[in-house]
Amino acid sequence: MIRRVVLLTALAALATITTSPTIANAKDAYIPILVPITGFIALEGTAQRNGAIQALENAPEGVTVTYEVSDTSTSPEVAVTALHRALERGKPVAAAASIFGTQMLAMAPIAQRAGVPLITVSGTAKLTELGNPYIFRFFPGDEVVKVAHARYAVEVLGAKRPALLYQTTSYGQSGRAQLAKILKDLGAPLVFEEALAPSVKDMLPALAKLRAAKPDVILLHLHSGPTALAIRQAREAGIDLPVVAGSAMHQPSTAKLLAPAQLSGVCAESAASPISESDAKLVAFTKEFRTRFHTEPDAFALAQYDGINMVLAALKDGADNAEQVRDWLAGHTFEGLAMTYKSDGKGNMAHDALIVCYDGASLLPTIAKRYHNVDGAL
Amino acid sequence: MGASIPQLLVNGVALGAAYALIALGFVLVINAVGAVNFAQGDLVMAGGFVAVAIAEYLTPWASENLPELAVVGPGSSGVGLGLVILPLTMVVMAVLGLLFSALAYAPLRHRPPVSVFISTIAVGLILQYGANAVFGPEPRIGPPLVVNGSFALGPITVSIQQLSVILAAGCLIAGTGLLLSRSQLGRQLRAVAQDPEMAEAIGISAGRCIAITFALAVALAGSAGMLLSNQFFVAPSDGGLFMLKAYIAVTLGGWGRLDGAALAALLIGIFEVMMAAFVSYVMAEALLYAGVLLVLLVRPSGLLRETIQRRT
Repeated sequence: MIRRVVLLTALAALATITTSPTIANAKDAYIPILVPITGFIALEGTAQRNGAIQALENAPEGVTVTYEVSDTSTSPEVAVTALHRALERGKPVAAAASIFGTQMLAMAPIAQRAGVPLITVSGTAKLTELGNPYIFRFFPGDEVVKVAHARYAVEVLGAKRPALLYQTTSYGQSGRAQLAKILKDLGAPLVFEEALAPSVKDMLPALAKLRAAKPDVILLHLHSGPTALAIRQAREAGIDLPVVAGSAMHQPSTAKLLAPAQLSGVCAESAASPISESDAKLVAFTKEFRTRFHTEPDAFALAQYDGINMVLAALKDGADNAEQVRDWLAGHTFEGLAMTYKSDGKGNMAHDALIVCYDGASLLPTIAKRYHNVDGAL
Repeated sequence: MGASIPQLLVNGVALGAAYALIALGFVLVINAVGAVNFAQGDLVMAGGFVAVAIAEYLTPWASENLPELAVVGPGSSGVGLGLVILPLTMVVMAVLGLLFSALAYAPLRHRPPVSVFISTIAVGLILQYGANAVFGPEPRIGPPLVVNGSFALGPITVSIQQLSVILAAGCLIAGTGLLLSRSQLGRQLRAVAQDPEMAEAIGISAGRCIAITFALAVALAGSAGMLLSNQFFVAPSDGGLFMLKAYIAVTLGGWGRLDGAALAALLIGIFEVMMAAFVSYVMAEALLYAGVLLVLLVRPSGLLRETIQRRT
């Protein structure tokens, strides 16, 4: 009976995962978008999807692309199924792939066997340490953004006793490992840390223990909803310490969950913050994004946009199959809207990070500090 | 420890009270149709989004006509719009419950219970994907029941929303208990739950009673969704968590026992908060499931003796 339930549930889920069934024209380059648009990481996955679509809809002259969107939800199995289906439909020249590290780790070996580059914004450090030449990460990995995260807390805010709340997911574990190491190297080891499942709603117990450890700054490495919950509950509990959060906090939709006053003293690491920039090209990107998707762009959308644009640049430059696209990505430097992208030999394409801060009066963050070429790969 | 035990208890009771509302609707459906409603968690999520939608619809009107009532969004300080939104949410959700009953239960009524709970899984998925399509994937914040803010009670800081959740849940649970035990309708609902054929034989419409039970259960889920959406936000993927907690509460409380489910839900809320404070969240989760296994081993009928003897 249970097997029947599982089977029927899986069938129902499969029936809903493909959201844009476009049949590939044999002459077109085929780029499937395999991202989580449902589940607890749907916010980030939707930003990825939107960024990829905006890039594909603006493909350069002479490059014709067919794409489709498949929802990978939150399980590795669904992500793998989506990739298999994409491979069955045609030979992709590349695929926009999930931000969710657990799913990427499952998809990576399949993409390698099929010889298809995966263009992702997943921050999970392990992803580019597997020796898989088909992984290209356009969002700075934890070895970049967590350096900015820790250095800002220690060097700018003067933290000596940081405390950390992180997620139990692979994203959280990876960030926690990097932060703990970097903070120790900077002479400010963590005085408190606790892992929270994405389902945890009442964070008072963790905040109570955190307060008892007498930290001087709170570091968060949580997804969007939990980030807002942690900040809100900390402020309600009278914990007014400065907060340096993970990239989820730079997302406009996260800030909307909080009152401006609750954001006083809150900063966040990110690769970019499109809504905070005044550069004309970024302003144009943001304007088109708002018009097209009726929402604000974030760094994940911009990174995926840049990643797909680099694939399109490869196609424009004459690459006409997955192997040639892979070689082009591995061997060229690309000027994206957010930063300059170049592979470090492992598929890490992004090497800059920045810190945005809220002023306590509005929900629009300003860029407080930029960290260029953090890992020295450029 | 940076927070007092009374402070943690208040948080635990508030969390447990919301779980109790979810579990209550869950038990009502189990009693009425003898099958588990796997969409219960997603119905809670749907209730949260219905409250968000109503609040967004009412706020411009209230801001213009009753500025002192405009209460939506984090940090707003107006009073009272939530008291209008809660019953409206329950009405909308009750209608959804009737539709649920007509579309997902009635056609399968004479099939084995497995058909019904597969159908409820499908409804849950539809609600989750529907919320994602309509409202987007981002978490949203619902309106407070009365007002945002908090007050000090000795060493404890009590959030007004927390207190509202406890009071509202208490009233709704007591109201449901009174409806079922003291009213003619309640007696009919219980008669159908115990023996639908016999109830039909004495002139009670089982189909009508089951539809009303679904409406009541879904309205309770909606109220829980609204109450939770302000304190903990609401996102399309939240249903699974709520479903799991309701299932555990019902299993611990005694299959089919309204009072048992409410009591177990309260205990789960307090247990989670206390264990997380004194050990860790990971251990709290592990110990909760270990506790469920222990209860099933030592007292399989639950903390209070179950009223129906079948578990799906």
